[in-house]
Amino acid sequence: MLLIKLAFRNIFRQRRRSLLTALSLTGGYVLSVFSISMQDGSYANAIAFFTEDHSGHIQIHKDDYLDRAKIHKTIDNPNDVAAILDKHPSIATYTTRVFAPALSYSDNGNTPVQVIGVDVLREKQTSRLYQKITGGNYFADRPNDDGYFSAMIGAGVANSLDVGLGDELILISQGADGSIANDIFIISAVIGENNSPDKNTVFLPLSGAQSFLTMYGKVHQFSILLTDIADARDVASELQTSIPGLSVAPWQIVENSFYKTMQADREGNLVMLIIIGIIVFIGVLNTVLMSVLERSREFGVLKAMGSRPSKIVSMITLEVTMLSAMSIVLGLALAIPITYWFSTAGIELPEPVDVGGIKMSHMTGLLTPIVFIVPMIGIFFAAIVVSIFPGLRAANVTPTAAMRSH
Amino acid sequence: MTIVIKTKNLCRYFGDNEETMVKAADQVNIEIEKGEFTAIIGPSGSGKTTVLHLMGGLDNPTSGEVELSGKNIAKMSGGELCDLRRDHIGFIFQSYNLIPVLSAEENIEYIMLLQGVKASERKKRVKEMLELVGLSGLEDRRPGKLSGGQQQRVAIARAMASRPDIILADEPTANLDSKTGIALLDVMKELNEKHDMTFVFSTHDEKIMSRASRLIHMRDGKVELDERK
Repeated sequence: MLLIKLAFRNIFRQRRRSLLTALSLTGGYVLSVFSISMQDGSYANAIAFFTEDHSGHIQIHKDDYLDRAKIHKTIDNPNDVAAILDKHPSIATYTTRVFAPALSYSDNGNTPVQVIGVDVLREKQTSRLYQKITGGNYFADRPNDDGYFSAMIGAGVANSLDVGLGDELILISQGADGSIANDIFIISAVIGENNSPDKNTVFLPLSGAQSFLTMYGKVHQFSILLTDIADARDVASELQTSIPGLSVAPWQIVENSFYKTMQADREGNLVMLIIIGIIVFIGVLNTVLMSVLERSREFGVLKAMGSRPSKIVSMITLEVTMLSAMSIVLGLALAIPITYWFSTAGIELPEPVDVGGIKMSHMTGLLTPIVFIVPMIGIFFAAIVVSIFPGLRAANVTPTAAMRSH
Repeated sequence: MTIVIKTKNLCRYFGDNEETMVKAADQVNIEIEKGEFTAIIGPSGSGKTTVLHLMGGLDNPTSGEVELSGKNIAKMSGGELCDLRRDHIGFIFQSYNLIPVLSAEENIEYIMLLQGVKASERKKRVKEMLELVGLSGLEDRRPGKLSGGQQQRVAIARAMASRPDIILADEPTANLDSKTGIALLDVMKELNEKHDMTFVFSTHDEKIMSRASRLIHMRDGKVELDERK
């Protein structure tokens, strides 16, 4: 208790200097919290956007389908995979898809499209496809009375072909067996706008797409949503063990370019935070060194009385740690309301920013304990490091020489 | 009689050059017995403070030995020397050297904290020490709120609180007026007589010399005369 009292009083010995040091530590802390919160918040929003929009948290494919998509690289036993997924407690929902490039025709022209066959019921629970309908109705999983399956087309396709709801859409592609695939579909809905990522996509019911591409019962992809995205890598690894014949990839691999851009940006931000930290801690080091030099005589007396050098180092460290703790308390009082405001209201960007292919137009902060804890640990760790050099200097004074100093 | 401190051919030289070298202590042989009230006296620069610092392990000798309670302190590591000072030696300095941010009570308590004395025992001893040096009621005052004489009383109480084998006092009355100096010397003499506490002073204060039971005269780093009264 006396040591804490001594450290506390030493901090308040030079009030103005300690206050300035505490304010610089507080400023560094608040800035770090804000920076981490905004960055993590923006990325969390972007990740939630694309994983819940289409990619899911985990995907399963055959072999290297993710890197080199070929129509014949199919998952031939989707029911077996589904049985495994149904039992996993971390999986909230999943869906199956098939993909193929195709040429689309109407009476008014033709245009190349990406065909995606989706499980009509499961897709609703796994992606935002249903919410992206701008006209018409979500399709059924069965053909109509005339034997035609429905199709939902991107707004770009609708414009290029000058087709609308209820019109016929002819698709020509290559079947999985090498045959020429062609079929007629009835447009049930238009998806998105002209600038949407889905503008050149044609969505078909899974059974219709499988029939069209002659890949009955087979799929190209399982897209999985977890109860917690943070478990993506672990669950992917577990699933990989359960399904050794297929490739299981978490979103970090599925959206590799975004993930790499995000990591590079995070590293850049880390460098910036380190630079801020160094500037702040040079100030702290200067303050502690000045304080130690001014108190050389006292350290000489303490050593003469029998204080071991380690005791003196720990005394200096305790002082710096206490000053850091006070700064962090002040920093928390400022950072919590600021972060709360930015996590709820956020900032509207004047121009959308492209991050690894994801357009970000709104930035909101993240309000989680980790946002406050990481800079806290950083400040305490740096405070201890910063106090070592002045502490050693104080601990190594020669009592007789120190007591002669003024 | 028990010998508390013994110096053998103790030398402390400053400077490397033979011509300019200062021999602050030169072949000093002194034995201090338990309960003695000794004054090392001599003119300025005679080496009395240097010898006192060497006896207390505050400085390292150029050659020779210092034995404290039979242990050669020259062979001790820095940490061991700290422990030795903490447990066996009390220091009183000319300029008091109290910790300015601690109260009188806390200054006395601090050394016991280093020794690992229990809180209840610390409080008890602090009270005793303050009564002994006549400072009861001023325990909460910081050094800045105490007079020079009162600060030196706190320093004496601090030196005694650790129950050392010996108290080394370096010009303890030099910064005090005559009346205060006499009062403090009386306190120390009483402690010496009643509690058999060993004191070694470095001084040229006549008041200390008149009360000392032994005078060691130094000149140019050498013991010129060692007289017991």
